[in-house]
Amino acid sequence: MRKPRRLVMGIFYFVLVLAVIFAVYPIWFMFLASIRPGQSLVSLDLAGMFWPTQVTWANYQAMLFGTPIPGSEQYDFFRWLLNSLKVAGLTTIATLFIATSAAFALSRFKFRGREGLLILFLAIQAFPGILALIPFAQLLTAMGLFGSHLGLILAYSAGALVFNTWNLKGYFDTLPIELEEAALIDGAGPIQSFIRIAIPLATPALAVTAWFGFLGGFSEFVLASILMAGVPSGENTLPVALWKLSGSQSVPWGQFAAGALLISIPVLIIFFFTQRFLVGGLTVGGVKG
Amino acid sequence: MGVSYRGFRKYLLILLFITPTILSVSALSVYPIAYNVYASFTNRNTFRPRANCEGEAVQGEAPPAWQTWLTQRMEPTCWATFAENRVVGRGQFYRLTESLGENYADMTGSLFSRESLTSTGLLLVGVSPLLAVWYVRRRQSKLLSPPRNGWLWLVALAVSYGLWQVLDVQAALTRLQETGDFFIVLFRTILYVAACIPLFFVVGLTLALILNNEHIKGRGFWRAILIIPWAVQSYIAALVWQFFFRGEQGTINQFLEALGLFEQGPTWLGDPERPYLAFVAVVVINLWMTYPFFTVVILGALQSISQDQYEAAEVDGATWWDKLTQITLPLLRPAVLPAVVLSSITTFQMFNTVWLVTQGGPIKGAGQPGFTEFVMLHAYRLFQDQNFGRMGAFAVIIFVMLFLATLFSLRLTRITKGAYE
Repeated sequence: MRKPRRLVMGIFYFVLVLAVIFAVYPIWFMFLASIRPGQSLVSLDLAGMFWPTQVTWANYQAMLFGTPIPGSEQYDFFRWLLNSLKVAGLTTIATLFIATSAAFALSRFKFRGREGLLILFLAIQAFPGILALIPFAQLLTAMGLFGSHLGLILAYSAGALVFNTWNLKGYFDTLPIELEEAALIDGAGPIQSFIRIAIPLATPALAVTAWFGFLGGFSEFVLASILMAGVPSGENTLPVALWKLSGSQSVPWGQFAAGALLISIPVLIIFFFTQRFLVGGLTVGGVKG
Repeated sequence: MGVSYRGFRKYLLILLFITPTILSVSALSVYPIAYNVYASFTNRNTFRPRANCEGEAVQGEAPPAWQTWLTQRMEPTCWATFAENRVVGRGQFYRLTESLGENYADMTGSLFSRESLTSTGLLLVGVSPLLAVWYVRRRQSKLLSPPRNGWLWLVALAVSYGLWQVLDVQAALTRLQETGDFFIVLFRTILYVAACIPLFFVVGLTLALILNNEHIKGRGFWRAILIIPWAVQSYIAALVWQFFFRGEQGTINQFLEALGLFEQGPTWLGDPERPYLAFVAVVVINLWMTYPFFTVVILGALQSISQDQYEAAEVDGATWWDKLTQITLPLLRPAVLPAVVLSSITTFQMFNTVWLVTQGGPIKGAGQPGFTEFVMLHAYRLFQDQNFGRMGAFAVIIFVMLFLATLFSLRLTRITKGAYE
């Protein structure tokens, strides 16, 4: 490739810098807001929008240690986090446990109704959770699970099951069938070859599928805000709790920013390790958190 | 693998593998969809919230036995297993609507009247020159040496504009908007998708082309920084941008005011006189969240294009524009098409971001859908108003549309095809 003229290179770098500002500024702003003392979000000066002028860690202390800030309530960051971890984690484990064998069967066996099943799963994938609000609200009310974490787990499982099945089926399709055939010749049954050969080979795919399924539940907002409406603040999942903080215009916005950053950083780190799988898996379903 | 088992034993084995999933999916997905279909035929709303489980007489008139039978099957609060949680609220019983498709008819309004169909026809005629050029160029692209007729687009655009004026398509569009909420909501959602996707593509392509240039220093670094927004959870992104676009304390307005551009910046999110500002805001936010995906997909495809092709083109005296339109874009197609279809579907059913930022507003008048009230927000509002019959019908129609779109994307990506078939 020939080197472009100097002017062109200049334009390239200029565009890159602009794009980086666009990409990073919202996150940088969150950081600035999280370390800004008191009410000063409302009256910013130009310098304060780009650089920390005064620094306080009170927002982080309030979120992490519950040290109250004058003029705001006390918050249960870790309880919210635990709620979210519990709901998303249990959803992931349960659905992965159920879906793996079905994905294997759909990938390896030919049987009547297989295509039909795949199309059915695809149809369900096209049915967003919001449209299912009425039946979920009815079902959970009838079961006495409305406003409970278990109810939320059931609602999340609906989407997660189909997502997992599709994703894992796609992965099993790429595994060479010869290994299993060799096992069969050596006298293993299909169940044995599934447990002893296919599952160990699929471990990376299982981990990645689990992570994206987990992230979906961990970041889910709508169903949590409706199916958990009216519960005490301590029962909320993290997205709903942070949303309630952000609605305020003064002190809690800084606390929202602190909480949002605290939760974004681990997600960001894991994202960088997994994103190359994300692009491959994206043709299967929408996985953006 | 069918080698070891045949017939009955094989099916037993398959059942063993798939039954847990089938049962769970039936309870958690198939039943909810069926329930929505059922709800779409009832007149359930705020005033008629109760299920008539026992078939009690209302105003001296008992519902037909088959209706009670259906209610007992479909309505979970009627099931004997959950009898202890049965709701004993106030309000009247709901029932099936008088005429079967009432909710559907109400929702689509006069969309299928002769006048509306004429308007739709005019709209199609208005854009037909563009479609014609697209079709012709598509056919020609299969030729060995396709003629260079990009200028046809300009002609088509001019003809379209002329037709638009002559046939008064603007008025036709207004007439269609008067047919009811359904058309307005759908039209604005499609407008949103049409505004977002090309923007994603152009931004993604620009960045990918720059990042693919081997003379740029620190490409890995730039790439890593530029995909950060992808990793931010959507509700956090939405809440931060919501703050940026606020009226008085919003960062954007404060910035504009500090630069002295405005005495008082615009009300971005809630100005019913300038609703397009809110529309622009949700497009910008969606761009922030989605361009990294496009950049990564396009960059991946670019890196698989061999340099020889460009060198050969350069020998033939091709300009960079020739190389872009004759080599790069055609070769990007297979990788970008699935991404485009996927993002279109995601954008079509976007809820979180838009709702957290605008709540569907700004609203011009009570009872009208807000300017950014896209399909999922509309469904949500029907749910909040407890207009369950109407929401059921809306959900069914949107579901059918989404399913067709998914089937279409399936044709493009062929994911049902197993590896060993």
